[in-house]
Amino acid sequence: MNGLGSTMLSLGQGGSAHGSIASVGNASSPLQPALFFIFELGVILAIVGMMLCLYRMVRGPHLADRVLSGDTLAYQVVGLVILLTLRMESTTYLDGALVVAIIGFASTLAFAQYIGNLRRQTNA
Amino acid sequence: MTWATIRDILSIFFALAGIFFMFVGAIGVVRLPDAYNRLHATSKCSTLGIMGLALAAIFHVGTIAVAAKALMTIVFAIVAAPVGSHILAKAAHLDGMKPWDRQLSDELQQDRDRQSGKSPANAPRGMSANNPARSARRDPGSDPTARISAAV
Repeated sequence: MNGLGSTMLSLGQGGSAHGSIASVGNASSPLQPALFFIFELGVILAIVGMMLCLYRMVRGPHLADRVLSGDTLAYQVVGLVILLTLRMESTTYLDGALVVAIIGFASTLAFAQYIGNLRRQTNA
Repeated sequence: MTWATIRDILSIFFALAGIFFMFVGAIGVVRLPDAYNRLHATSKCSTLGIMGLALAAIFHVGTIAVAAKALMTIVFAIVAAPVGSHILAKAAHLDGMKPWDRQLSDELQQDRDRQSGKSPANAPRGMSANNPARSARRDPGSDPTARISAAV
């Protein structure tokens, strides 16, 4: 845990150049190590969740399974970006979360239209 | 207890809740038996998980800009996730995706069969042929599946 924390901490100082929240955030809080450990745990669990979604995307028997796993993957990416925002102490990443959420929703709608029209096209 | 400590505690709580729901949603996508059931897990992941993580970001950073973006993300996720799940489930049903073999009733298929005038050919187990839901609810009969669906 300590080795992981130190490596990710050294990663985090690269991102804190531009929109740093260290000045406005509570960097000197006594709960700061627990917070960072929870954020790193969340990053790892989000990556594991993305792997599970990719497994369902490969396995999925129906096309809807693949589409819903892609939808879940998009929301896992949103959560990962928010967690990286918190961990890297740089607020510039947070715009990416909103963009990924919107694009994931639009792609879900487009694939749903496609799936709903499949049977009609093959019958006609 | 200072305001910074309270903010940290709230941030830890919401981050743990968000991480829990994100991971549970991902597990549900793999483990649940059916695309309709998997959409249930997807909705947990995308509403409660995103809401927890964004609230953790709001309480951890505490500036207006981050709070506005995180609130936008929350509002968009809460509006978009049920709409996406609903339209995807309806598209899968239109495509004729086979549901789980242990489901009790398919009311959308019954409505569609009733509107098109034909008797429900592939009626679920324990349902009589015409007006299936009502008759099953009034008279459970001897089939245990009908009794379960009448109790529900």
